[in-house]
Amino acid sequence: MSASGSVGGTARREPHAPESTIGRKSDYLHAESTLRSWFLTTDHKRIAILYLASITGFFVIGALAAGVVRLALIVPNGAIMTNDTYNKAFTIHGVVMVWFFLIPSIPATFGNFLIPLMIGARDLAFPKLNLTSWYVFMAGALFTLVSVVLGGVDTGWTFYAPLSTAFSNTWVLPALIGVTIVGFSSILTGLNFVVTIHTMRAPGMTWFKLPIFVWAHYATSLIFLLATPVITTALILLIAERAFHIGVFDPAYGGDPVLFQHLFWFYSHPAVYIMVLPGMGVISEIVPAFAQKKLFGYRFVAYASIGLASVTFFVWGHHMFVNGQSDLASLVFSALSFAVAVPSAVKVYNWTATIHKGALRLDTPMLYAMGYIGLFVLGGLTGLYLATLAINQHIHATYFVVAHFHYIMVGGTVLAFLGGLHFWWPKFTGRMYSEPWGRVSALLIFLGFNVTFFPQFILGYLGMPRRYATYPAEFQLLNVLSSAGATILAAGYLFPMLYLVYSLWFGRKAPANPWNAKGLEWETSSPPPTHNFLSPPEVPRIPYDYPIQAQEARDQHG
Amino acid sequence: MSEPLADGVGVARAHHFESVAQQREAATLGIWAWLITELLLFAALFLVALITRIQHPEATVAAAKHLKFWIGATNTVVLICSSLTMSMAIEFSRMGWQRAMVRAMLATAALGGLFLVLKGYEYYADWAEHMMPFLSDRPFALAETPAARLFVNLYYVATLLHALHLFTGITLLLGMTWMAARAGFLARHQNWIEVYGLYWHFIDLVWILAFPILYVVNR
Repeated sequence: MSASGSVGGTARREPHAPESTIGRKSDYLHAESTLRSWFLTTDHKRIAILYLASITGFFVIGALAAGVVRLALIVPNGAIMTNDTYNKAFTIHGVVMVWFFLIPSIPATFGNFLIPLMIGARDLAFPKLNLTSWYVFMAGALFTLVSVVLGGVDTGWTFYAPLSTAFSNTWVLPALIGVTIVGFSSILTGLNFVVTIHTMRAPGMTWFKLPIFVWAHYATSLIFLLATPVITTALILLIAERAFHIGVFDPAYGGDPVLFQHLFWFYSHPAVYIMVLPGMGVISEIVPAFAQKKLFGYRFVAYASIGLASVTFFVWGHHMFVNGQSDLASLVFSALSFAVAVPSAVKVYNWTATIHKGALRLDTPMLYAMGYIGLFVLGGLTGLYLATLAINQHIHATYFVVAHFHYIMVGGTVLAFLGGLHFWWPKFTGRMYSEPWGRVSALLIFLGFNVTFFPQFILGYLGMPRRYATYPAEFQLLNVLSSAGATILAAGYLFPMLYLVYSLWFGRKAPANPWNAKGLEWETSSPPPTHNFLSPPEVPRIPYDYPIQAQEARDQHG
Repeated sequence: MSEPLADGVGVARAHHFESVAQQREAATLGIWAWLITELLLFAALFLVALITRIQHPEATVAAAKHLKFWIGATNTVVLICSSLTMSMAIEFSRMGWQRAMVRAMLATAALGGLFLVLKGYEYYADWAEHMMPFLSDRPFALAETPAARLFVNLYYVATLLHALHLFTGITLLLGMTWMAARAGFLARHQNWIEVYGLYWHFIDLVWILAFPILYVVNR
């Protein structure tokens, strides 16, 4: 029963296949081609592609809004647009980028596509639930975008009460409802991953043979499951307060606005690691493949993923140092926030140790990975500034914070996303992209990113507050520099959209394993067949079983 | 469990699972993971209610005393009884007694419905007592302190959220009863009953937490 099941019955049917299907490719992309077969699919790989297309759309919307913000800040006096327009632009940028791009980006696309392949399963544990979560995601995201069409929201992505419940006269309610709905999509995705990783591993695929990508997604899924319900509660309370005056946060109704911050950041600080951990997983796959070397300290990297996911639940109070919480609470949150640096540093050291003396190949994915490591280190170190109580008093709510979280969230997620996209593009599509263009885009993005966001560290340190449409004239030079960098960054983002789409039709056909990488996903064809593997994959003896590792072992013993 | 029997009790293997045992394990782990998220959804509310009580004991106790204790207590009993009938339904499904299982499921749904009716009456009594601080056209009659208002508001959010879960649960249960009454259901989907049973017990459990936190503490 199970032997014939493993090839999905295709082999049995083929001799009697109808004329029209003979010669048709059997990979997941070409198995069926109707719209219906895409929108009602339960194949994790097709659902990943649905996500990829939709989050790319949201990325473009968020990026355009960022362009509007940088445009406004070219002049100090707010002459280009009204304060109101500016507020709405940065709110759309934040809401769309955080909720509809960064959080689902790597888990929903690469995670969906790769986790079953990497563990040798035929699909996720709950394929229909997986499709449902995409529809929930789209419903929530489009609901939020309705508010933009109607006239926009001006609360910022954090929806702080009582601004969002009592004072803002914009379309807060549809935005809130949309974000609440999207949360359920995260929960369902996380749940599916946890169950899949626990129950669907191929025989012999033990926990400590799992790729770090899978470990990272396991840790991320735990955050999805344990943090998202709390923000759902917070958003439900916000909706109840704004719509029905059931007061919980507004002091006028007997509520407490600080309560909202507690509930919000209890989710939203762990959410940073929803964005960063999957990126770390991607980097942990790319670096060994392009150094052709075993990942240094595999177990420590795995433990560090779980460690980060745990510590991140105890640091939300560092967002509230200046809101009047007790000194003791601030001290404790400050100390715990420093602890985040430990597992983060473990990962960075392990990547650099993997690169050390490796047979390096600086192809596009590796360029992105190295850019990622650089930006993540700078973002992480400035995080220590922010966790320090006294320094935080000076730079709280300034552009220093903006620069810091862009280094972490863009440097840490977008670069990993693009690196992973290039790394697995042959697997997703069966086509190779243009390597020279890929390298140009990776370098442009690294350059553009630093020109955009490094000046913001200085601006923030000099005292320019975030979220204002106007600023003192002496900050203009650095702001113009930042806006100029954003143009370079935009070009860097545009190139992959063009040459990757071009490669879909004109790219060279990809072999099963173009990078000579290890991992079960490279053992099946590119693109994979509908049921992932034509014969049950052979689980490797050790994870990241690269040849140099064997060489080193010989050197040590002989 | 083994592969399904023609007319017996079992689970039909879905194409992407290697074995029925794996499928059962995935379903059980999945519902438990979901229940943890549901518990956290309520936990945030309960935690806020408890902290409000600790920080403002007099105002919250004064407000809590206006909650309809006997309706809450009766509803607790009603839900515990419904958990019993749901457990019976699961036992019957394991033994293959389809007709008894369907009856136990209908009894469960009926008890859930009774809870909602009693809860609705309680809301009506609250309304008559001017205990809804969010209604601007009906002045709030209880002690006019922020903490009392906050506590009463939390009571409405928590109980409405629970009622919403119960309503969803009853709808799902009736839909499933309709399917489960057909021949051959238990041979293919016996574990649906088990998985759903966990969800029902969870709804019961949340009320068993809500009742002391909202109605009983410091009474």
